[in-house]
Amino acid sequence: MDNQFLVSLTLILITFGLYIGIAIYNKARQTSDFYVAGRGVPPIFNGMAIGADWMSAASFIGMAGTIMLLGYDGLAYIMGWTGGYLLLTFLLAPQLRKYGRYTVPEFIGDRFNSHTARVIAAICTIIISFTYSIGQLSGSGVVIGRLLEVDARIGTMIGVVLIAFYAAFGGMKGITWTQVAQYIILIIAYLVPVIFMSLQLTNNPLPWLSYGGIVSQLGELDRELGVSEYFAPFTNGTKWQFLALMFTLMAGTAGLPHVIVRFYTVSTMKAARWSGAWALLFIGLLYLSAPAYAAFSRFILMKQVAGSPIDQLPAWTQSWVNTGKLQVADTNGDGTLQWSELIIANDIVVMATPEIANLGVFVIGLVAAGAMAAALSTAGGLMIAISSSFAHDIYYRVMRPNATDKNRLMVGRVTIVTATVLAGLVALNPPGAITQIVAWAFALASGTFFPALLLGVWWKRANAQGVIAGMLVGLTVTLSYIFAAKYGGFTILGIIDTGAGVFGAAAAIISIVIVSLRTKAPSQKLQDEVVDLRYPEQMSYKDGNVWIDK
Amino acid sequence: MRKIEKSVADAYFREKNMYILIYLAIWLGVSFGIVLFAESLQFTIFGGFPFHYFMGAQGSVITFIILLFVNAKVSDKIDAKYGIDDKANEVLSAGKTLDH
Repeated sequence: MDNQFLVSLTLILITFGLYIGIAIYNKARQTSDFYVAGRGVPPIFNGMAIGADWMSAASFIGMAGTIMLLGYDGLAYIMGWTGGYLLLTFLLAPQLRKYGRYTVPEFIGDRFNSHTARVIAAICTIIISFTYSIGQLSGSGVVIGRLLEVDARIGTMIGVVLIAFYAAFGGMKGITWTQVAQYIILIIAYLVPVIFMSLQLTNNPLPWLSYGGIVSQLGELDRELGVSEYFAPFTNGTKWQFLALMFTLMAGTAGLPHVIVRFYTVSTMKAARWSGAWALLFIGLLYLSAPAYAAFSRFILMKQVAGSPIDQLPAWTQSWVNTGKLQVADTNGDGTLQWSELIIANDIVVMATPEIANLGVFVIGLVAAGAMAAALSTAGGLMIAISSSFAHDIYYRVMRPNATDKNRLMVGRVTIVTATVLAGLVALNPPGAITQIVAWAFALASGTFFPALLLGVWWKRANAQGVIAGMLVGLTVTLSYIFAAKYGGFTILGIIDTGAGVFGAAAAIISIVIVSLRTKAPSQKLQDEVVDLRYPEQMSYKDGNVWIDK
Repeated sequence: MRKIEKSVADAYFREKNMYILIYLAIWLGVSFGIVLFAESLQFTIFGGFPFHYFMGAQGSVITFIILLFVNAKVSDKIDAKYGIDDKANEVLSAGKTLDH
């Protein structure tokens, strides 16, 4: 057991203790004033909670690495994952807040007055959240694997136990304040290394201003090596792939069930708008820094690691080779490690960079704690979305309407444990890099929920038959495209699996419109309820008129 | 409960949605628009950033954040103009989120 291990473990244990403490403290208080009028999480804190819920292992661990390897083409993730908040906050969140249901399947089931739609929405929630959690577990595997210097697969198994335990026993209620703490930990852990690297490389403590110079130097280095420039657009895929991926991530963001739920914890539509704004500000802090992280690590690797003798590589390389995520091989046998002989997995860049830049044991431990916070908070949110879909929307609302509270809670917990273990089994041999797996979850959300919610809120003529057809068609098209592109080599305009959402969303919107128009309009009451969502709480729409409550 | 003139109610709806459409047009421009023309926008700006890269890595994100805050502020103003009181909203929506 070395020093690094002890420091990292201590930091992780301290932060875990903090989360558990906050959860216990809030649970005791919240039961008493749960139904008190005006209870609501202030938007600024809700923004942080959304940030932690949102920023997963993919954002924290995977994104910078993806940008480092893809260059400009990786920026589709930055724009897609932030731009989606505009769709969500402008078009969906305040309206869904006014409707006042707890889960997305519940909104769909009640808005369209259909148990079939409810069950399909619940199944979609489970599929989306399950896919997403494979990415989280694979991410926690990378962190734990590095920490214990074991294969990432063993790390994943340990992660499964941790997350199942955390979500099943800790996360059922009152997780907002825990997530606020998790946000603070993860953002500090992300910013500290990138600020230090900026100081080391450019003598400027503000990476956001300084890395432009590094980006242009990377372009020069690439030209010398004869590879395409770091910032050259569309070298790793077509322009249409970039646009499709960006759309998929945006529409998926607006339709992710576990994020939408967070907008119900505020008091009003107004608070929902402000939550969206604060959330993106807090998320933006990390997203604006990820490209700096990517540029700095690539620069250090190209300048300091590539070109050194193979038997004099820095010590950090060995511990990463052990996790199976880094390969260094002197393939041409000249005794020197060339840039092309270094194979680095996207998913280790953020974790490895503090070591690459020689930032010391404390910073490395901090990054490990931050990465665990990111994976845990998102996995917690996802597992709750899965269990509420099953235990609440399917089991309680459809199968057993007279089930007791205790019974439902038990079903919820069993669901969480089962889902985590199953996702863990898939994550043992992850079918892609973390950001790629997560992009599939977004593709599924943009092919199912985005069209259903968008038209459900803004088009009163949309009916149950339409939305059922839309979700089924969207799901089928998205899934088929992902499989056909990944395993069959089928593409349209060079759009690969991660951009599948654009086809799913288009097919779903067309299906909802056509089927709705060809079947009976929803009842007047349902249509009135939809028009009502366009006005603030104090205004209500009834019998063709708008009324104000004074 | 007091009935609102249809013209007033429609004006409220129109005013709110007009702004949303403007924001969405800007959103489309700084993301999809810039990407569409990325090859011809590679000139260098401050600090050595190629412009297309800067917009993808920072410019668009900063624009998105600003748009969300502008929307929150402007919507509050519109609400106030039409006599919406946020305290009353809170009371009306309280308890509407069911706890499961």
